[in-house]
Amino acid sequence: MNYHIKMNNLNFGYSEKKILDDISITIQKGTFLSIIGPNGSGKSTLLKNIAKNLEPQSGEIWLETLDLLKLPPVELAKKMAVVPQTFQIDFPFTAMETVLMGRTPFLKRFQSETEKDFTLAKWAMELTNTWHLKDRSVTEVSGGELQRIIVARALTQEPKIILLDEPTAHLDIQHQMELLELLESLNKTTGLTVVTVLHDLNLASQFSEEVIMMKDGKIFASGKTSEVLNAENIRAVYEMEVLLAENPLNQKFNIIPLARSKNINIENKNIKIHIICGGGTGIYLIDRLQQLGYRLSAGVLNIGDSDWSKGKKAGIKIIEEAPFAKISEKTINNNLEAIFTSDLVVVTPIPFGMGNLPNLEMALSGAEKGKKVIIIKNNDPLLNQDFTNGKAKDILEKMETSGAEYVENYFDFFEYLESHFKERL
Amino acid sequence: MDTNKRKKNILISLTFIFSLGIIMIFAVTIGPANVSFSQAANIIGSKIPFINNISDLSNVKNSQETIILQVRLPRIILSALTGMALAAVGTTFQGLLKNPMADPYIIGVSSGSALGASLAIVTGVSISIGYFMVPFAAFIGALISIFTVYNIARIGNKIPVYNLLLSGVALSSFLSAFTSLLMILNSNETSQILYWMLGSFSGKTWEHVRIAFPFITLGILSLYFFSRELNLLLFGESTAQNLGINVEKTKKLLLVLGSFTVASAVAVSGTIGFVGLIVPHSMRLIVGSDHRILIPVASLAGGIFMVFTDTIARTVLSPTEIPVGIITALFGAPFFIYLLKTKKTIGS
Repeated sequence: MNYHIKMNNLNFGYSEKKILDDISITIQKGTFLSIIGPNGSGKSTLLKNIAKNLEPQSGEIWLETLDLLKLPPVELAKKMAVVPQTFQIDFPFTAMETVLMGRTPFLKRFQSETEKDFTLAKWAMELTNTWHLKDRSVTEVSGGELQRIIVARALTQEPKIILLDEPTAHLDIQHQMELLELLESLNKTTGLTVVTVLHDLNLASQFSEEVIMMKDGKIFASGKTSEVLNAENIRAVYEMEVLLAENPLNQKFNIIPLARSKNINIENKNIKIHIICGGGTGIYLIDRLQQLGYRLSAGVLNIGDSDWSKGKKAGIKIIEEAPFAKISEKTINNNLEAIFTSDLVVVTPIPFGMGNLPNLEMALSGAEKGKKVIIIKNNDPLLNQDFTNGKAKDILEKMETSGAEYVENYFDFFEYLESHFKERL
Repeated sequence: MDTNKRKKNILISLTFIFSLGIIMIFAVTIGPANVSFSQAANIIGSKIPFINNISDLSNVKNSQETIILQVRLPRIILSALTGMALAAVGTTFQGLLKNPMADPYIIGVSSGSALGASLAIVTGVSISIGYFMVPFAAFIGALISIFTVYNIARIGNKIPVYNLLLSGVALSSFLSAFTSLLMILNSNETSQILYWMLGSFSGKTWEHVRIAFPFITLGILSLYFFSRELNLLLFGESTAQNLGINVEKTKKLLLVLGSFTVASAVAVSGTIGFVGLIVPHSMRLIVGSDHRILIPVASLAGGIFMVFTDTIARTVLSPTEIPVGIITALFGAPFFIYLLKTKKTIGS
């Protein structure tokens, strides 16, 4: 048994409304798990069910070998600590008194706190940077300070697993990082299992080992962070367009929100688009166009290029060439065929050099044969550089006279597609 | 609690116990018949095991002894017990319901007991059957109203706090309407009912003490037993549960224990207002919110306050007695306002 929590077929709802719909999850021992999902997807409710603050209508939850739903609160409190989302206290306890309450499950009814309990409270308060507040009343400290005091109390329980419901909600940016880094270090050094609801996808990607993504009371996806947090899943769950940018500093990635998703038109299946791209300029385009239902081809791309690997993963037709090789005659013919059989050719903002100049020439051939060619401009000066002594510029001008059109950016391209093909359909 | 704080708390508790003792002996000396403090101390001492040997009754008259032991002492003990019960239950309910407006009567004790007492008074059973019919009817009335409120508020296995507060208010209005009706229809007994409702210790005997004592002391002790749970409940029911408390069970126990305690007090004293509301708040301002010290201190302070106000009630317009409920409000409210203005930290 290497799971810490195992939940089988859990259902929870209020009278008519179902909030959690047949949820089964396994939380590994010592993992750092983030639960994400839009508002109302049931992530907090899921956490509260694990915390036993809510009682499910059906299903089972196992805490290692113990039936969590039948476990007395005091036994659960010795193993699991919970940091709730919202918190209000109207009665003046000092921070120290509050943190010491974390020792309650370990004390007998009339037993006073021992030296060990004080040591633990001090340790937890120093970790959460709240020791200087120890004599202040919890009614007087700021929201962020209170949040950290509550985390200190949770740590004083010496839990094996800690549940947090949006712990960063009341914190400013340095305390967000401080808290998550603390949890990460406890996770790594003591094997503390961390389960946290997070709103911020970037924090989730940066800190969590695993992610559960929820939608409409169901698990939409779960698994390793890099597998769950991709553009496709985020689009499906949040209806948002995002770009995943690798963060070379920590081998994680950042999620950059772009725009709200547009509706997918299944009629697009009849339309074939050929993409001339390279160097990663086609990643977003391939992903999005495929989502919208278009049939795609791309090329010529060198094997190993990031657009090449994206296209391979997406399973589209790729006209490929060996890495760093000159484009061969045969490949050119294949690519021309792809261009001539498509309804539209799109050229991404890539810099052109002698190596990929044939791609541009082929686009010109297409334009001259009456194929619609769209060139995505880009204001990035580096990408606009011409490494072909004006040859690329000549071709682009020729293309324009043959009816090729420019759009400003990716979004304009999608708008063009929408307006242009609406008439045809 | 660290050692310093524990020492401080013991010191505070001892101070309050000592003060209660002193004020009770003082109260005994006050009244139409003249008795000095040392006479009073000797008379009381002579009845207490172990210190009766050193009590000197040589310069005490028999009449003085009778007045002290048979008239004043039971009344003062009863007022102390009632004050302790009201303050302890008020503290508990404020914590349990997380509502600063909560008092011991919030879930219907006062209206139920008032209706019970009124019925006993207007039907005349208190005269025909026995002197203790009014307390008995008040006690039963209180229990019936608490039971009703509890069951209106209950959803399945749980007692949501808001349900409890609202059903308490609703039932109180309903029962009060009946009491008012009884008063209108029986104008001869109106002043007697009103007197009972304002609360008084006039004419209370050792018999009353004997009945109330076990209920009230056991009640306060059992509430004190739950002080750690009460601390955690102030942080919300979810938090209390996450820290190991069986919340619903604790809530039910505290409601039942508190209600029994206060019903016993009301039965022998009437519905004395204000003590159960302001004494807990005042003591919270002084010793903080930790129920491990707050319950004993508030309870003792409630006793002190009640003995003090009852002494005023029976002496200030002597030989006429004023209902003690009038004095508690008259003295308690300004004192509480003073505390509010000077400490300024009641809740957030």
